Amino acid sequence: MASVALSEAEKVYIVHGVQEDLRVDGRGCEDYRYVEVETDVVSNTSGSARVKLGHTDILVGVKAEMGTPKLEKPNEGYLEFFVDCSANATPEFEGRGGDDLGTEIANTLYRIFNNKSSVDLQSLCISPREHCWILYVDVLLLECGGNLFDTICIAVKAALFNTRIPRVRVLEDEEGSKDIELSDDPYDCIRLSVDNVPCIVTLCKIGYRHVVDATLQEEACSLASLLVSVTSTGVVTCMRKVGKGSLDPESIFEMMETGKRVGKVLHASLQSVLHKEESLGPKRQKVGFLG
Amino acid sequence: MLKSKTFLKKTRAGGVMKIVREHYLRDDIGCGAPGCAACDGAHEGPVLEPQPVDPASSLCPQPHYLLPDTNVLLHQIDVLEDPAIRNVIVLQTVLQEVRNRSAPVYKRIRDVTNNQEKHFYTFTNEHHRETYVEQEQGENANDRNDRAIRVAAKWYNEHLKKMSAENHLQVIFITNDKKNKEKAIEEGIPAFTCEEYVKSLTANPELIDRLACLSEEGNEIESGRIIFSEHLPLSKLQQGIKSGTYLQGTFRASRENYLEATVWVHGDPEEDKEIILQGLKNLNRAVHEDIVAVELLPKNQWVAPSSVVLHDEGQNEDDVEKEEERERTLKTAINEKMLKPTGRVVGIIKRNWRPYCGMLSKSDIKESRRHLFTPADRRIPRIRIETRQASALEGRRIIVAIDGWPRNSRYPNGHFVKNLGDVGDKETETEVLLLEHDVPHQPFSQAVLSFLPKMPWSITEKDMKNREDLRHLCVCSVDPPGCTDIDDALHCRELENGNVEVGVHIADVSHFIRPGNALDQESARRGTTVYLCEKRIDMVPELLSSNLCSLRCNVDRLAFSCIWEMNHNAEILKVRFTKSAINSKASLTYAEAQMRIDSAAMNDDITTSLRGLNKLAKILKKRRIEKGALTLSSPEVRFHMDSETHDPIDLQTKELRETNSMVEEFMLLANISVAKKIHEEFSEHALLRKHPAPPPSNYEILVKAAKSKNLEIKTDTAKSLADSLDRADSRTFPYVNTLLRILATRCMMQAVYFCSGMDNDFHHYGLASPIYTHFTSPIRRYADIIVHRLLAVAIGADCTYPELTDKHKLADLCKNLNFRHKMAQYAQRASVAFHTQLFFKSKGIVSEEGYILFVRKNAIVVLIPKYGLEGTVFFEEKDKPKPRLIYDDEIPSLKIEDTVFHIFDKVKVKIMLDSSNLQHQKIRMSLVEPQIPGISISADNPNMDIDEPERKKKKREK
Repeated sequence: MASVALSEAEKVYIVHGVQEDLRVDGRGCEDYRYVEVETDVVSNTSGSARVKLGHTDILVGVKAEMGTPKLEKPNEGYLEFFVDCSANATPEFEGRGGDDLGTEIANTLYRIFNNKSSVDLQSLCISPREHCWILYVDVLLLECGGNLFDTICIAVKAALFNTRIPRVRVLEDEEGSKDIELSDDPYDCIRLSVDNVPCIVTLCKIGYRHVVDATLQEEACSLASLLVSVTSTGVVTCMRKVGKGSLDPESIFEMMETGKRVGKVLHASLQSVLHKEESLGPKRQKVGFLG
Repeated sequence: MLKSKTFLKKTRAGGVMKIVREHYLRDDIGCGAPGCAACDGAHEGPVLEPQPVDPASSLCPQPHYLLPDTNVLLHQIDVLEDPAIRNVIVLQTVLQEVRNRSAPVYKRIRDVTNNQEKHFYTFTNEHHRETYVEQEQGENANDRNDRAIRVAAKWYNEHLKKMSAENHLQVIFITNDKKNKEKAIEEGIPAFTCEEYVKSLTANPELIDRLACLSEEGNEIESGRIIFSEHLPLSKLQQGIKSGTYLQGTFRASRENYLEATVWVHGDPEEDKEIILQGLKNLNRAVHEDIVAVELLPKNQWVAPSSVVLHDEGQNEDDVEKEEERERTLKTAINEKMLKPTGRVVGIIKRNWRPYCGMLSKSDIKESRRHLFTPADRRIPRIRIETRQASALEGRRIIVAIDGWPRNSRYPNGHFVKNLGDVGDKETETEVLLLEHDVPHQPFSQAVLSFLPKMPWSITEKDMKNREDLRHLCVCSVDPPGCTDIDDALHCRELENGNVEVGVHIADVSHFIRPGNALDQESARRGTTVYLCEKRIDMVPELLSSNLCSLRCNVDRLAFSCIWEMNHNAEILKVRFTKSAINSKASLTYAEAQMRIDSAAMNDDITTSLRGLNKLAKILKKRRIEKGALTLSSPEVRFHMDSETHDPIDLQTKELRETNSMVEEFMLLANISVAKKIHEEFSEHALLRKHPAPPPSNYEILVKAAKSKNLEIKTDTAKSLADSLDRADSRTFPYVNTLLRILATRCMMQAVYFCSGMDNDFHHYGLASPIYTHFTSPIRRYADIIVHRLLAVAIGADCTYPELTDKHKLADLCKNLNFRHKMAQYAQRASVAFHTQLFFKSKGIVSEEGYILFVRKNAIVVLIPKYGLEGTVFFEEKDKPKPRLIYDDEIPSLKIEDTVFHIFDKVKVKIMLDSSNLQHQKIRMSLVEPQIPGISISADNPNMDIDEPERKKKKREK
């Protein structure tokens, strides 16, 4: 992962600051940085979003394609994740350098979406055993400035919120052969409910305390961090520890509590921003990459 | 300003694709009105008139422009094409919709907009900043387009008001959609239906006839009885076809019986592919050539094709019951074996309506405006039209278009399009036969002509690149007299090594017609030049056909040359192809060339060259015939025209000279050499010509006929056929050989163009050549142009282009060429038939000797060698007692009373013009000798009842 080189003195400075609930950039331990969200930025996709968190810049595109349902889940569609670590983000990603990280992030995404409540997969089914929608979620890392997982999750949620799947009808004749008919009204489409889509809150253990939304420098000072995926109601759906260091049960419990608290607030503000953006309608001036 | 248009598309694999297109809006698109300060000079081409005055409409007396919507354009194109309708704004939205829905109408509207006189202006409203609209939620594509049209109409009205308020210029929105019209009036746009507007044009009452009658609720006069079952919607048909419940096919009405038709099912050639439809209800409003979906009936309802001839003569709607009775009569004679798959039409997949030629059958009721129209083609049903000029149209050939066929109507509804002229008038009849044979014969459009070289033309340095200068050679051309499109020239000279060099030089048409441009597309569409008796419909514009490409003498011309080195035994030692420049030393006729060869006194270069060619040609011909090439015969007739009236005064069969076959021999050789070369170079996409061997059953009649004269014809190979035809001679009956050859010609299959990658049988049966193509007449055949291009690429003289090496595109092209060639042939025959009729009209009744060519169940087909005329003598006539007829299929022979007729029997017949049916005049023959009481007529007593209808008509006119 992208990292920065810090001297001992700098590290001590950061750790002491965190102890006092005063981080280098002036935030408290449970404060997020300023988040910018814009949806519908790539017109070729079914849904897209771009999220900037500090210096971290993520673009997510969702593409809906028709396919056959998985054998074990004949009346559900499914999601596929792919993470592309662009060499623009950091020189370490050059060549195949970003592949490991990409796979790691994709696997994490599979894990947090691997439950019934996060997305209503049954609504993606067109005809059981034969046709369903597959949502290809493509994540592109444009810039790495710490806290990748949280940013990606926000972007995925925003993109899924923005996704519009064309409505199709299955016509069946007497013989049982099926034909798929596409509605000719481009506004006639299905939207996914993203109320239960979880977001990851990464908590970095720095010294005796933990912080959310760590910058690259702070990440360098942390030996272990905890990824907690939280839904908007504060339910923890999944948890994972990353980093070399170990965590004692008590601090894990504390971190989970923080994660829930922060996650709920994060969801609430994301939701309100997305609704506000949508209420602007098609007349909204798009910012895109020019902003 | 940039917008993006997004739409969803279903892919062939069944997936759904989102497509995003960029769409730019501009503010410099002109409104098309001259003198508009706001958009001065922002438009070019034909524009609107500043003060449109001509259509004096009682509805809107002030000057105005028209703005029609898509449906008006699609259905009322005949009205819009009328010269009275001018100053029309065609919106891009409308044009695009028209293009998606009907290619022919699109082409017509493009022609109209290109016509300066009509003042049609195409406004690109979709790219105009103020008239672009985006599809809104809950609005389908149609609604959006309607709105776009209204927005544009509104914009125009405001724009024109700004331009000059005192002018009171208005844009009138023409729509037949009630809701759309209401909405437009709500928005303050003056709107009328097409009917309202046309009716208000008091100065042009004849326009009303051209209105297509579409108002479905408007036909209240019609009896509410529903005759036909409903057509199923397209989506259901497609499902049905997919699952096999319905079959898709081309509907082919029967010429003989209007209650019967066959549907030729597309797809598997192995399967039984014809389905019979019988009865009006089962035909269910399908018209000849439509693509339909049929449902097979259960086996117990299957019928046999009836042998009854039935023509629709009903005048009224009420006789539907009578029809049913008639239908029942069809079904009486049922033979179990004869039953064929029978079906009924459940829906129409694609209509293939075109404007039809024909005549008006005036309604019996005097003041009536509804009349029936009888098309010339018997396969097309009669069409009901509404017209006020019925008496003016009587006895004329007219064109009518079908608008629709409601469920409660016995006949389709249509409208009058054009008056071609009087029946029997030469111009009119030529026009009719060109239209009926779908021969494109309009003058070349400006777009096509723009690709012609500028005059005066001369060969430039650039032209000489990749080209050999052969201007020093003694080249000459030999053609029929009066030929202006000379596409081949020849030369022959002795080489120093004792061999002979022979060159065939073909006009280099592909130098002038570059792939893909309008000129090329138009030539490809026409496919061939059509030669009628007194008219030539050119494939390429005259500047090329009669001047720049024509290898006339003493001018420099570009050519494509095929040059052989041969020994004196006409064996080819070397062959090469090159683009060249030649200068023909003489344009000879066949007779002139023959005279030069024959007269010992002449010894100039041209003559020696001709003699050399003639000598080699004889050897080539002999060798070809040894291989089994057929020399067949057809009675070719040429008319002597009166130079002033252009009426035929005499006809004569074509004379064949040695020089004819000399030219032919070298053309064949060139074609074969080129075919080999292009196939070698492009094994997958060479354009070749094949002539399949006929199935043995085709020859039955020939063998039987010969047998009856104690001659033997072998048909196992082309060679044995050719040999046995040569041997078949009778001292007592010298004409029998020609008759046999004529008969053999009828047994042959049609030669066709094909793409070498799509077929593996290349053999040309008639010429006994394993490979063949057409190279030598690029001025009059499009196939030759493609072959020229292929050959040019093969020798590196020209560059290739993608379509040339796409075998599917080539196969499509071949399909069109084969169709055009067939149609050209039919048109040619129809033209000869018409001129024969004119000839006999002036000549009156004549008695001639002839030979029986075929024997039928109730008739004999007689050939009269003197006129090359073929006609049928019927022995069963309406309203006359039927004679005793015994037909023997084995010999074949026909016994009438006590006289027996065999093939090739000599008979004497009386020939006259039968005008009882004005629309289908024909030559009628009746038997004079041998005499059969009650059947044959005496030579000097003219048949009274044939002329009668004409006389009656004359009386009425007085």
